Amino acid sequence: MTILGSVAAWLTDPANWTGPGGIPIRLAQHIGISVASLAIGAAIALPAGLWIGHTRRGVRLAINLANLGRAVPSLAAIGILVPFTVLIDPEAGFKVYPTLIAMVLLAVPPILVNSYAGISEVDPDLVESARGMGLRERQILSAVEIPIALPVIIGGLRSATVQVVATATLGAIYGLGALGSFIVEGSAQRDDAKLFGGVVLVALLALTSEGLLGLLQRRLTSPGLRFAAR
Amino acid sequence: MRQFRGLALGASLLVLLGACSTGGGSKPTVKIGSDGFYEAKLMAEIYGQALEAKGFTVDRTGIGIGKRAVSAPALEGGQLDLKPEYIGSGLAYYDAGAGASAAPGASAATPATIDRGDPAAVATAFQAVLKTKGGGITLLNYSPAADQNAFVVRKETADQFHLTKMSDLAANSSLKLGVATDCPTNPVCGKALKDAYGIDVVSATLLSPCDTPMVKALLAKTIDVGELCSTQPDIAVNSWVVLQDDKKTQPADNIAPLVRDDLLGKLSAADKTTFEKVLNDVSAKMDTATLTDLGKQVSVDNKDIKVVATAWLKANSLV
Amino acid sequence: MIDWGWLLDHVGAILGRTVQHIELTAIALVVGFALSFLMALLSLRRPGVYTIVSGLAGIFFTIPSYAMFAAFVAFTGLSILTAEIPLVLYTFVIFIRNMVVGLQSVPRDVSEAAEGLGFTTRQRLIRVEIPLAIPLVMAGLRLASVSTIGLVTITSILGDSFGGLGFFITERPFFATEVLVGAIGSILLALGADVLFARLQRRLTPWSQVGRARTGDGLPRSTDRPVPA
Repeated sequence: MTILGSVAAWLTDPANWTGPGGIPIRLAQHIGISVASLAIGAAIALPAGLWIGHTRRGVRLAINLANLGRAVPSLAAIGILVPFTVLIDPEAGFKVYPTLIAMVLLAVPPILVNSYAGISEVDPDLVESARGMGLRERQILSAVEIPIALPVIIGGLRSATVQVVATATLGAIYGLGALGSFIVEGSAQRDDAKLFGGVVLVALLALTSEGLLGLLQRRLTSPGLRFAAR
Repeated sequence: MRQFRGLALGASLLVLLGACSTGGGSKPTVKIGSDGFYEAKLMAEIYGQALEAKGFTVDRTGIGIGKRAVSAPALEGGQLDLKPEYIGSGLAYYDAGAGASAAPGASAATPATIDRGDPAAVATAFQAVLKTKGGGITLLNYSPAADQNAFVVRKETADQFHLTKMSDLAANSSLKLGVATDCPTNPVCGKALKDAYGIDVVSATLLSPCDTPMVKALLAKTIDVGELCSTQPDIAVNSWVVLQDDKKTQPADNIAPLVRDDLLGKLSAADKTTFEKVLNDVSAKMDTATLTDLGKQVSVDNKDIKVVATAWLKANSLV
Repeated sequence: MIDWGWLLDHVGAILGRTVQHIELTAIALVVGFALSFLMALLSLRRPGVYTIVSGLAGIFFTIPSYAMFAAFVAFTGLSILTAEIPLVLYTFVIFIRNMVVGLQSVPRDVSEAAEGLGFTTRQRLIRVEIPLAIPLVMAGLRLASVSTIGLVTITSILGDSFGGLGFFITERPFFATEVLVGAIGSILLALGADVLFARLQRRLTPWSQVGRARTGDGLPRSTDRPVPA
């Protein structure tokens, strides 16, 4: 049987859809940790990026921190974090928290840089006229800058999502479960169907989430800007 | 005139060709490789330096290329010529490939009757399987040095639950188990644990055996029982307790060099004898206690593998 | 805490691994850049090509790097190709998007002006489109270099002959000094590359420095408005 054939067989085998090691549970775990790290990452990076973009203060620092986040090798980060996170909880602190933190580190740079970039690229004339009309700073941000910057900001979220979904597979090396386990187990058990089945599932999840966010990006683009956005 | 020149040219070419093909100093390069952990890399380095001392050229690119799932196909495919292997686990690897439902000891590759605890029997069976792989692979003499799979608990756990052997585990199902990633489908792991000790690995945490995540998990109390390797320095360093394999489920894992037959075929008769003698001498002089100590020097004392290998070879007059 | 003795003994090895790290990165960047450039030019003539190529490239990006490396050993063995092919694919993904969007983002009035001046398609490409695409391409180069330097550390799973500074991260995971040398070393390399390319970017595009601050991200964004003079 060709590799494609055996992967298709593995994906359609009902046995692989049941039990704690089945596709639904592992998919749920993968989505869970991806959403959690993106949410935490956005909670950190969005406000920071918006503020930096609006006030133009701390740009250098932000860019450098973002690049630092991108430069850290994820697997090394997980290994370094383990001895610390296990102090919180021996089980979750080994299997979940280190990977979660490493994924947050991965998600922050694209979200931070894109929020800052989106806001700072808003036409300063618009901001000036809004100020002239008597709007307060926070209102300018919410009524003028964010709506215009929204597609770019969501673009950052898209980029972060793909990276997080692809890299969360590393968690399986520390017992996280999730889709990475199919890859790690398939490799150790010499089960190519399982290995590539896992790869296909990760790729599908990444592409689907990226696509959905792309749709969101297009819908949330203010109609006046739609002709300009790509 | 022309004919004479042609003849002279032809004759000198023949002479040159003759000189080249009688193996006068042209030994093929030996491509050495190993699995990714320190002990395999150390043995490969020892083989390499011992061979170099006897005039062989060695290519070390393949040292540490990954798990057995990568190094075994590399040996079969010819990307490697020589690698150290643990005979019990090496044999089980081919059994697992032959069919995960095989009973321990039985498979398409191995007769059911061999005693897996007996290194001589395992070696014979393993050699038989290897003859059919990759155009033929030879298993040279195995060493008294063995590195078995060991199930290990922390000292407090052993004291608290009075654990000394594997059979004690069945009564204590609250203990969290950490096993090798390939355990569920490995007949000498998953099925053997179930049949002999009544241990089910379905809810165990799967981690890379003998490797850092397993050690970290045991340290962190994420798991209570971990699958490690018997010569690992981490066991002694942390005063961990090795549970005795009272039902003898784990195969004898003595170390032996595996070498491709086509490399041996390229060697002259004299070179082949030297090659085999070098490696057999190394195997004979290594034992489990020494292997454990050398491992400690590499992993705990942080000495370079090359330095440790050279020191041992010199101390045993092998270089 | 830090074993200075080990550090001093291994200065040579650390330098050697740093050089290896830079070599592996450089090869991936150069080959990835060249391939993406060719693909980008091709996509200008046939827009369909870009959609297919970026789709495929996007899929590669989602395959975990260590799985890629392991899979390639079966085909390309233990040569430097095994390490480089996945690295090149990853740089390709980053470059191709930036290049195509960069080349396509020439403001309409600018290309109309060029046409009005009598430029041929080729001249337009060389004198208008490529120069204006430079900011995005340079941004892509910065991004690709940082991410490649990080990925090179993973090549250590291929064995002692690869890995660059990643070798020190995986050799003795409990030996803090060595792990930190590997981790901090690669982070420093990445930051250094980033600064280097940022400077280069500023030099090559002096017209983009006037006015608002520039971003370092390089994600393709539409720029329908002309760049401030």
